[in-house]
Amino acid sequence: MPPLLSIDNLSTSFHTDDAVVKAVRGIDLQIGHGETLAIVGESGCGKSVTALSILRLLAMPPASFDSGSIKFNGNDLLHLPEKEMRNVRGNDISMIFQEPMTSLNPIFTVGDQISEAIVLHQNKTSAEAREHVLDLLKKVAIPSPETRIDQYPHELSGGMKQRVMIAIAIACRPSLLIADEPTTALDVTIQAQILNLLSSLKQETRMSILLITHNLGIVAQFADRVAVMYAGKIVEESPVETLFDNPTHPYTRGLLNSLPGDDRERKLESIPGAVPHPSYFPEGCSFHPRCKDIMPVCKQQQPPEINMTDTANHRTACWLYETTSQENS
Amino acid sequence: MTPLVSIRSLKKYFPVNGGFFSNIEHQVKAVDDVSIDIAEGETLGLVGESGCGKTTVGRLSICLMEPTSGEVYFDGVSIHDLNPADLRQLRPKMQIIFQDPYSSLNPRFSVERIIGEAMTIHGLADRNNLKSKVKQVMDKVGLPSSFMNRYPHEFSGGQRQRIGIARALALNPRYLVCDEPVSALDVSIQAQIINLLQELREQENISLLFISHDLNVVKYLSHRTAVMYLGQIIETAPTDTLNKNAAHPYTQALLASKPSIRPDKAGKQVHLSGDVPSPLNPPAGCHFHPRCPEATDRCRVEPPATRRIEHQHTVKCHLHE
Repeated sequence: MPPLLSIDNLSTSFHTDDAVVKAVRGIDLQIGHGETLAIVGESGCGKSVTALSILRLLAMPPASFDSGSIKFNGNDLLHLPEKEMRNVRGNDISMIFQEPMTSLNPIFTVGDQISEAIVLHQNKTSAEAREHVLDLLKKVAIPSPETRIDQYPHELSGGMKQRVMIAIAIACRPSLLIADEPTTALDVTIQAQILNLLSSLKQETRMSILLITHNLGIVAQFADRVAVMYAGKIVEESPVETLFDNPTHPYTRGLLNSLPGDDRERKLESIPGAVPHPSYFPEGCSFHPRCKDIMPVCKQQQPPEINMTDTANHRTACWLYETTSQENS
Repeated sequence: MTPLVSIRSLKKYFPVNGGFFSNIEHQVKAVDDVSIDIAEGETLGLVGESGCGKTTVGRLSICLMEPTSGEVYFDGVSIHDLNPADLRQLRPKMQIIFQDPYSSLNPRFSVERIIGEAMTIHGLADRNNLKSKVKQVMDKVGLPSSFMNRYPHEFSGGQRQRIGIARALALNPRYLVCDEPVSALDVSIQAQIINLLQELREQENISLLFISHDLNVVKYLSHRTAVMYLGQIIETAPTDTLNKNAAHPYTQALLASKPSIRPDKAGKQVHLSGDVPSPLNPPAGCHFHPRCPEATDRCRVEPPATRRIEHQHTVKCHLHE
């Protein structure tokens, strides 16, 4: 079965007066049916731009797609006419944003905002839609949905608003849900509630989820597969257990070692330096100025993508493994 | 041994106006009867969810705010009773690092002025040796001294936080409040700052109040941890004890909610239902009872007292009588 979503060599850049900012630089990704793929990375690595590119939610200009394709159910989303794209958004693919506080419209009731997608995509009357909205509010575990449906966003707490966002996102039973840092703005106990809700919805509806986060703990608990992004590129991709048991890219290792763990005597291993600015990425491997395993070749040429042999679907973009893969082949 | 910082029955209520013509109607009890000690050279972690009052405790403890009632003793002196001149003498000894390195530095000041200003004011440096003193502090926090004439916007988040730390350390404080110092930073940068704080603490024997919502960071850095919920400290224990034997149901739930990169090893899953109630109108009895999986009728009416269940381990819960 072909994957639900297949991104090939996608490059997205922003043209400003000063420079061209290459936010995403040639990434390949597949998401299977019913699969949860997580994209992790630090701020500015291009993870949100990847998500927004899939839904074509970027303003053009300044944004532009320089190359690549995004195939969804056989259609290339990048070349779909705008009218057809509107049928995809919120219907086949929907999205939950990071900040529930600012992504709801303050002058419409919760019920209005959830039913908008239903009326638009499913040709229902508003009375039918209201029934559906009540079901959805129950599904996302909002207490007393009959009162909440007529309330405005300011009357709800942060966790509750994120539940409403989820209700909007799943209203048309999408086959792909993009969750961009869905719990970053929430407290830990509420974060756990929202993640549990997403897991149970996923089991019930068999939808695929693209989870974007910087929190490796959430990735470990929630994702099937994970892609690590750095400076607009995917540096490592693998099944989730493999990434934590056997990280291969020096950046992934650095990230994992920089997390405070159980051992309080261990000095945290930090990655020196800072993430490069997206308008001046270094030559060669963009991680080389911060890498402790740097070799001369890293400064000159971009590393190839190497399939690791420990498990299937484990690839890493690093010169360190170039020789091993040649020996094996 | 007397503690360096001793907080006694500290309360801070913020009035909430009903409107322009109305009288004061409500009070937000941001900090409601908090008592805690911090020993010389000790790091106390203060954790809790947003709005629980942890930042207010930090600010009250270095007299950046006046409490509604209660006292803070610094080295035996009640700081909120001092006259302005004496308080000013004491200020260099208590410093703070803020959460957001983007908004806590004056964009029109050079690094030299940001770090050096307080040193000049408190007479720790004069015009002749200011540059060399600033350089010393910058070395300490790992900033190249060639950056001295640059402005905050030229730095990354991690570097700005180093400037904030340098500004606090410039006065040789004995007590440092770290208010979420790494929350705004990326993971790889967080580790740099945590390591820096750890080194500085050991070199200078500073007492730290480390405020954070990140339980992993607090666990790594602090000797003792206090957990706050709706303005009250509900549990205090040495950090290892707290992580292994949390006594309060809220602490247990917090620990269980923390996403771990080794999910199989995570203990029992206690998930809390409901939201944190508004501090404007906290529930009667134990503030935690509406979300508590073990709440009884007694919890709904009678607020629990703080009880010592072990050496250094106190908990505010009826279950532990």
